[in-house]
Amino acid sequence: MTPEPDLREALLAAVPGLRAFAISLSGQVDRADDLVQDTLLRALSNLHRFEPGTNLNAWLFTILRNLFHSEYRKRRREVEDPDGSFASRLKIQPEQGSHLDFEDFREALSQLPSDQREALLLVGASGFSYEEAASICGCAIGTIKSRVNRARLRLAATLNVDDMDDLGPDSMTRAALQG
Amino acid sequence: MTGDKGNKLARALPGSSLDDRLGTDAKLDSSSQKRIGDQLRAMYDELMQQPVPDRFKELLDQLDKKKDGAQ
Repeated sequence: MTPEPDLREALLAAVPGLRAFAISLSGQVDRADDLVQDTLLRALSNLHRFEPGTNLNAWLFTILRNLFHSEYRKRRREVEDPDGSFASRLKIQPEQGSHLDFEDFREALSQLPSDQREALLLVGASGFSYEEAASICGCAIGTIKSRVNRARLRLAATLNVDDMDDLGPDSMTRAALQG
Repeated sequence: MTGDKGNKLARALPGSSLDDRLGTDAKLDSSSQKRIGDQLRAMYDELMQQPVPDRFKELLDQLDKKKDGAQ
């Protein structure tokens, strides 16, 4: 199959969204970039499976999501982390090119179960419809709705408990990183 | 898919006490929902605005060249 001439541009245009999703999903910038790279490679070697006219972004997100989950399962075995406690400690490393303004929010996001986190990211941040998100995650639309709802409830509960304006531990983190 | 277990019936998994407490029919009021949504999008926008690392441009450039050579 001959790729469309603007395919390179389309893939490149999809990268910021894929990175944002991968960083938010994995909590690690380096790992996220590896995921995006693997996603692009896999997409290019499977172009014949892509139906022109359908949503390229949704297709790429599906690939990235599947790669993330297969890698996550593998890692979980490698680090002997059957209950996922290692994964739950994953956080975005603030020194890697991000401001600290959303530290509390990121922390709360990282504590969500991964199925809820990805559903919220797809619908609430990446701009996919419930239907598209369901297709990306390979589940029913009602499941996505339920996960998004639970994610929002959980975030609200966590952020209220910890108080988003509380500067306690966070101000120390800020001082340590800035000083 | 490990991520898909249980949720088809929106049943709280054992140990997820927060889900138990919140119930599955609970809905966030619209102002809280907006606050969460605004925070999420603001965080995400910041990530989206980061420059695309060169490795991705280089990767796609290489593949373009390979393709030209093959055709």
